[in-house]
Amino acid sequence: MASHSQVLVEEKSSVRILTLNRPKQLNALSFHMDPSVKLVILKGQGRAFCAGGDVSAVVHDIRQGNWRLGANFFSDEYMLNYVMATYSKAQISILDGIVMGGGAGVSVHGRFRIATENTVFAMPETALGLFPDVGASYFLSRLPGFFGEYVGLTGARLDGAEMLACGLATHFVPSARLTALEADLSRVDSTDPTFASTILDGYTQHPHLKQQSAYHRQVLDVIDKCFSGRTVEEIMCALEREASHEADDWILATIGALKKASPASLKISLKSIREGRLQGVGQCLIREYRMVCHVMKGEISNDFVEGCRAILIDKDKKPKWEPWRLEDMKDSMVEHYFKRVEGCEDLKLPARKNLPASAIAKL
Amino acid sequence: FSPITYSDHLSPPSNLSLTRDVCLQYSPPEELNGSYGFEIKEMRKLLDGHNVEERDWLYGLMMQSNLFNRKERGGKIFVSPDYNQTMEQQREVTMKRIWYLLQKGVFKGWLTETGPDAEQKKFALYEVCGIYDYSIIAKLGVHFLLWGNAVKFFGTKRHDDKWLKDTEDYVVKGCLVMTELGHGSNVKGIETVTTYDPRTGEFVINTPCESAQKYWIGEAANYATHAIVISQLNINGTNQGIHVFIAQIRDQDGNICPNIRIADCGHKIGLNGVGNGRIWFDNLRIPRDYLLNSVANVSSDGQYVSAIKNPDQRFGAFLAPLTAGRVTISSSAIYSAKLGLAVAIRYSLSRRAFSAVDNGPEVLLLDYPSHQRRLLPLLAKTTPETNKAIHVVSSGFKAVLTWHNMRTLQECREACGGQSVKTENRVGHLKGDYDVQTTFEGDNNVLMQQVSKALFAEYVSCKKRNKPFKGLGLEHMNSSRPVLPTQLTSSTLRCSQFQKNVFSLRERDLLERYTSEVAQLQGRGESREFSFLLNHQLSEDLSRAFTEKAILQTFLDAEAKIRAGSIKDVLGLVRSMYALICLEEDPSLLRYGYLSRDNVGDVRREVSKLCGELRPHALALVTSFGIPDAFLGPIAFNWVDVNAWSSV
Repeated sequence: MASHSQVLVEEKSSVRILTLNRPKQLNALSFHMDPSVKLVILKGQGRAFCAGGDVSAVVHDIRQGNWRLGANFFSDEYMLNYVMATYSKAQISILDGIVMGGGAGVSVHGRFRIATENTVFAMPETALGLFPDVGASYFLSRLPGFFGEYVGLTGARLDGAEMLACGLATHFVPSARLTALEADLSRVDSTDPTFASTILDGYTQHPHLKQQSAYHRQVLDVIDKCFSGRTVEEIMCALEREASHEADDWILATIGALKKASPASLKISLKSIREGRLQGVGQCLIREYRMVCHVMKGEISNDFVEGCRAILIDKDKKPKWEPWRLEDMKDSMVEHYFKRVEGCEDLKLPARKNLPASAIAKL
Repeated sequence: FSPITYSDHLSPPSNLSLTRDVCLQYSPPEELNGSYGFEIKEMRKLLDGHNVEERDWLYGLMMQSNLFNRKERGGKIFVSPDYNQTMEQQREVTMKRIWYLLQKGVFKGWLTETGPDAEQKKFALYEVCGIYDYSIIAKLGVHFLLWGNAVKFFGTKRHDDKWLKDTEDYVVKGCLVMTELGHGSNVKGIETVTTYDPRTGEFVINTPCESAQKYWIGEAANYATHAIVISQLNINGTNQGIHVFIAQIRDQDGNICPNIRIADCGHKIGLNGVGNGRIWFDNLRIPRDYLLNSVANVSSDGQYVSAIKNPDQRFGAFLAPLTAGRVTISSSAIYSAKLGLAVAIRYSLSRRAFSAVDNGPEVLLLDYPSHQRRLLPLLAKTTPETNKAIHVVSSGFKAVLTWHNMRTLQECREACGGQSVKTENRVGHLKGDYDVQTTFEGDNNVLMQQVSKALFAEYVSCKKRNKPFKGLGLEHMNSSRPVLPTQLTSSTLRCSQFQKNVFSLRERDLLERYTSEVAQLQGRGESREFSFLLNHQLSEDLSRAFTEKAILQTFLDAEAKIRAGSIKDVLGLVRSMYALICLEEDPSLLRYGYLSRDNVGDVRREVSKLCGELRPHALALVTSFGIPDAFLGPIAFNWVDVNAWSSV
């Protein structure tokens, strides 16, 4: 699916540096098989690390009645996510710019994630009629408290400092120092991650959170209080109750984001994150693959097509969600997304042998 | 030491290669297991019975909060109480955990909502709390199921309105005050006395002597504000028997009310998250309407009135709502056994010991027939559905299942070797927490006696009136005695009809023997009670036979409802394992000749065969318990990495 010009590859002794030229990532697979490679660095050209999967192309396929082509895209993507999550070699992703959706999928599962002052992270799928996939049900559910539900349901944007604070990023390095960092990392000649870790620890900083950050204690308390609700309705009620006491910008923006999102997406995203909390990364990806096939098939809701039309294609920003109200998205409809897909095999993850302890812990 | 030995130590011989290949590597059980033989989600729905989503929500609530002692071990999150804290600290943090769950809405509707759906949801959430820490459900049980239910069932609308919402919101903190220093199982013999003062329209509760002090009162040591007090009621010099009262024991600031003394029962072998108190009443006065009066009443001028004339029946009516507690005890015993087995079986699928051939790889623990034999029959005994039991059956279930849990925990502790001596691995500590189950809410031995007494009464009554047997599962006695085949092939042994026949035959024969022995003694002039006592061994055998048959029936009922497929097949294996291990372990079969010596040998061999056939399903079965990784012990996962120097 990908051509080599979309990924620039540099060899620096036993380090491979992959620079993403377009949001396609598949070349990364072939280099990780090479035993002489000790370390992989992933970064983006320009102002984005990676803005996500090419969902417009998928929607195009769906409209032509070809949802299976879209399914192929997602299955390749999720396989890659799984391989990255279970690598024996350290992957360092340098998130110097936008990292959203699929971009998170190819970076957060790696061992090291370097945020900068330019980083903008988000999982914006619910606004598109999709759901946070690419193993997000695994990594979002493992964020502190119920921050994962907040990020996944509202599509909230996080900067580098916030990513570091919540654990999505492992280090923070100002962009001015990236060249030097890369040079130092390129000299690593061992698969032992402590070498890279020591270098990164030397470069990392601890930036203060901005004043209106959602990651301050008072806001986090409200997030934990509201986003721990059993259902999307309960979450909304809790937020509205908080807003009735004190209607600050943050809470109004949060409620607004939920109201704009597809109700079907909100409900399946919540269930996905909640189930993902209790599953390993492989099981999460298998489950997400079933869900994304159901999304593409559009048997319950066509919000994915409608969302991409409104936000990405026609750009009128007025999606006509169906169902329109949360209450009309019944539990039985939600459950349908989690069932085996008729005529479509479950994602077959590659068997992984000799996994390092860090990967075993994710299973 | 010889110089040769020294030089070997200082410069090892060149043929010794100290490469990494020699080192033990951890392999997760999933790696060698291959694909599961059935759909885990489906099996879980069957085993949990109901409210799977609510359970997972609650697991998530506990996992994501620092209050639940969240720890990272070997790259995974675990939550389990810190038992190294002092008794006082454990009590405090357990109370905080309950307040957290309260704020999250976990207890919404536990008393104010009615109907089977609300009941089921409540029990599901209750069971999940227990998987984290039994102390939590010890507290919740006392507050909601004892205090809360007592008010709901014994009281009338007047009491309901006042207390139920306040209880659900933890504005009042309730407890049940029944057991005394001198009386536990024999509730009728308690010595606390309540009289009525018509001048003031008050009841007066008093502790007349030290043996009458209330004991083991859960929650009373620190927090309880209100109590359900069980006491003898004396009206106009006549003892009207056991009655139920409400008394406030602490004010809203936590100060003990006047005319009440409370002392602490002290440190326990487990369950230190709940504080048990001892209570003395010094002529405590309570308003007349604090008598929970749905069964009996005292008028303002002191006249005693009850709809139930027979004091024994009245006593039965008082205790009836409390038996709901038995069902939750049975289910929490089962979940505790599940936890132990999940840890032990996962560990046995990743731990190796001894090679079968020279220089060969060491063998996985669960590949040893002996290890399979220790754990897999216990696994089979841990899968029945327990939430539909009625009274007599619930007593038997409680006894059999709590004993089963203690035995399972001990076996699992041993099966994990030294590692399970570490508290963080959960299995060992569960023994201390759950041991009390065998003696509270009715001592198991006493309960088993009650089962056979009830069966005796039913038998005698039916024979006297020449009626057919109906109820208590005794209907099989209306047909002719089952005849068992002399040759027991594998397919016969696994046939559900054969299993039912053996269990029915055993129950029938023991019941007939028991009643006949008792009748003989009575014929010689002994009292009925004494005749029961002298036949206590037959009584135990009978009660066990009755309960095991009831449990077998739950297996058969569940199996019948499932359509053909992999789940039904595996359940069939589990059911056969259950039936045959019960037979293998019961001497009655040989003693009374239900089976021949050869037959018993066949049963034993079949159990071993079943072990081999269940072995490939062991991981899938324990995964179907639905207990998240975070609630198991670290030895269920990468126990090498968890102990690495880098993890210190």
